[in-house]
Amino acid sequence: MNAPTKLSEVTLKTIEFKLDAQTIHAYKGETIFKAAKRHGVDIPHLCYKDGYRVDGNCRACVVEIKGERTLAPSCCRSATEGMEVQAQSERAVKSQKMVLEMLLSDMPDTGYKWNDAVSSGAAATGEGPGALGRERNAAPGPSPDAAGAMVGQHGELTDWVQRMGVSVRPALKALRREQPAPDFSHPAMAVNLDASFNATAASVRVGKSRSTTSLATPCADRTAKLCLICMTRWATAAAWPAANACKPALPARSCLRRKWARK
Amino acid sequence: MTKQTPHPSPEVVRLGTVEDMRKRIRSKSKLKGRQPEDAAVHEVHDLLGEGPFARDMLIEYLHRLNDHFRCLHDRHLVALAKALRIGMAEVFEVATFYHHFEVLRGDAQPSAVTVRVCDGLSCELAGAKDLLARLPAILGRPDVRVIAAPCIGRCEQAPAAVVDQNPVPFATAERVAAAVQTHACAHPSAAQDADFDAAALSEKPISPASADVQVAPAYVGLQAYVAQGGYQLATALSQGKADAENIIKAMEDSGLRGLGGAGFPAGRKWRIVRDQPAPKLMAVNIDEGEPGTFKDRTYLERDPHRFLEGMLVAAQVVGIDACYIYLRDEYHGCRAILEHEIAVLQANPPCPLPAIYLRRGAGAYICGEESAMIESIEGKRGEPRMRPPYIAQVGLFGRPTLEHNFETLYWVRDIVQKGPQWFSSFGRNGRKGLRSFSVSGRVKHPGVKLAPAGISLRELVDEYCGGMADGHSLYAYLPGGASGGILPASMADIALDFDTLQPHGCFIGSAAVIVLGDKDKARDAALNMMRFFAHESCGQCTPCRVGTDKAATLMQAAHWDHETLEDLNIVMTDASICGLGQAAPNPVRCVQKYFPQEVA
Repeated sequence: MNAPTKLSEVTLKTIEFKLDAQTIHAYKGETIFKAAKRHGVDIPHLCYKDGYRVDGNCRACVVEIKGERTLAPSCCRSATEGMEVQAQSERAVKSQKMVLEMLLSDMPDTGYKWNDAVSSGAAATGEGPGALGRERNAAPGPSPDAAGAMVGQHGELTDWVQRMGVSVRPALKALRREQPAPDFSHPAMAVNLDASFNATAASVRVGKSRSTTSLATPCADRTAKLCLICMTRWATAAAWPAANACKPALPARSCLRRKWARK
Repeated sequence: MTKQTPHPSPEVVRLGTVEDMRKRIRSKSKLKGRQPEDAAVHEVHDLLGEGPFARDMLIEYLHRLNDHFRCLHDRHLVALAKALRIGMAEVFEVATFYHHFEVLRGDAQPSAVTVRVCDGLSCELAGAKDLLARLPAILGRPDVRVIAAPCIGRCEQAPAAVVDQNPVPFATAERVAAAVQTHACAHPSAAQDADFDAAALSEKPISPASADVQVAPAYVGLQAYVAQGGYQLATALSQGKADAENIIKAMEDSGLRGLGGAGFPAGRKWRIVRDQPAPKLMAVNIDEGEPGTFKDRTYLERDPHRFLEGMLVAAQVVGIDACYIYLRDEYHGCRAILEHEIAVLQANPPCPLPAIYLRRGAGAYICGEESAMIESIEGKRGEPRMRPPYIAQVGLFGRPTLEHNFETLYWVRDIVQKGPQWFSSFGRNGRKGLRSFSVSGRVKHPGVKLAPAGISLRELVDEYCGGMADGHSLYAYLPGGASGGILPASMADIALDFDTLQPHGCFIGSAAVIVLGDKDKARDAALNMMRFFAHESCGQCTPCRVGTDKAATLMQAAHWDHETLEDLNIVMTDASICGLGQAAPNPVRCVQKYFPQEVA
């Protein structure tokens, strides 16, 4: 019948490909990104998160594949036998860093999120997430608190910016987008639209468009089913629990995800 | 969100009185989410019928609402979402993606008339900016909306404007005002008594002289087309009198390549899709949006059946079950012709027909990109897909899809009946075939010129366009619309064809040639193009969304910041998802390379 009879029928097939200088294995159909991560190579990424639909549109994870004209997003490209991938070539890193710089250039000086990696100390001092609700941290720039953690940052974006050694040049800083107004209408969450960018598909199109909630109405008027998944997953903390709000229930589906206007 | 620690000094926030809060508690019987109003539901059903409704028809439904109410009221979007049984946000995100849909909130009223003035490069050269500035005052009516529109595909009639759906060629403020005052808002209808055979016009201009331009020229109707031997090929194929393999062979031997811009060999594409598993679909791209291109419209409004026959032949050879024709919304006249002629054909089929669907774009350049067009046909935002998988394998509705530009199919009948050598016998400078150049800008006689492939710009202007316009001498030219780059007059002797311009950082694309004179600046042209890209970027990927916008701002400076622009160029070329972002840096790089004195 259909039941497997040999061990080889249940073991995952692997393929071999080249990543930078090393030769590594990937499971059949596995993305370059995941295979690289298993082998200790962490490629910059913002819109990608394990368990979520792969969008491949932040382009921070682009890699160079031999024989291809343009770079490819490693988060949604499967590795194939004999593929030659360069995640750290000069060309790949140039685009990875430029993507980070472009996104950071449109962010406000002060963000809404602490740096995940070092935030445990911050919470104890009262400077952590609880303090960042409806009001932005008053400090003009990222300010180290007593425990040395950084608050007022842009979450994963700041993390990658630091790891890749990116800074925004004055020429681009001068072109920062006009920031959309925050939406504090809902009693349980604050939506900081200025902290959003398209990378999580819940987004902004610079220029003519803006990130928006459904029908561009304030969250409180929207009366949609409130799942608050946007608070758990937004690389730069665009949606945030309002001060004194209860903890969100189990996320069902994202209400801000993919609800955006172009005009 | 790790730990919620209490704030050191918690503020007391007064949310309201107990009575207020009681009022806000939702009754259990009330449904969650924003519910449609009864009146809006009735209005939607009156227009769209009682259903069943199909998700992929969303854009068509929005068109019917938008045409009737002159805008999209948010209450109708809520009702439509309910009728379609999809999320309201899904309707909203589609409605706001397309430029021709205007979403209004609450009781806001739409304008009585919308005047769109084309601000494409050819129209800008002909004074569109001045027209845009003067029109509101001359019209003197606050209920008339005057807006700039990206290229509307009437570059040989520059400057062009459209009053609702009525195009005004060679627009002056007075002519536009006259159309508004007489409420001439519909596209005029066309007669069917034309005698037109493009093949007989080989190596000649196709468009009439400027003085004879008509908004709705007469076209060859079904009877006249059949009388000239039309549909004999399609019929012979269905009766087994013509061999599919021979037809593919003829296509390959003719050297015909995709005429939408990418230039993929047509015969090879047929073979690839033919070998895919059924059911297979065809998508025809008439979203002619590349600034400077108007060849598809020129042929379609004169000879629609030659294209339809080419489509039927391709469908039979490849084994297609359904054909989807995607027509840009700006071509209202062409839509009327196609709707009528497809109905006539279906009523009186010369051979067994596949299902044929005509889909209407809604104002988005990006939908000319093959996978974005497929998304749009499926009723979604026109965002290009990631490849692989290629659309020949996984395309429209997840099926193997044969996608062709209009003009590629237009030549099928002539190539098969006249023989592949007829097509390949044309050509200059070592190139083979015929190309329909859409020439506009500073030439005496702009229009579509059916010229041999490989012709140089200088030959094209001198032999086909009557030379440069009076008072202008050749300074620069754009060989392939917005994304094909800009070349100086000193390079006007290069052969114009696929592959010949790449070494110079340009490409021919859809052969939209825009000619600049000595009073024009290449940097202004490049800026016009970059603004166009920023306006038309779908916003999906970072390099294109942010890059085009920042570059357009940087390019306004008298002295360009070359270092920053080059970094933007690199990331756009290397890391964008589709051709829009990848080709957007071409005009910038050409100005830096060939016209450095303009931006130094």
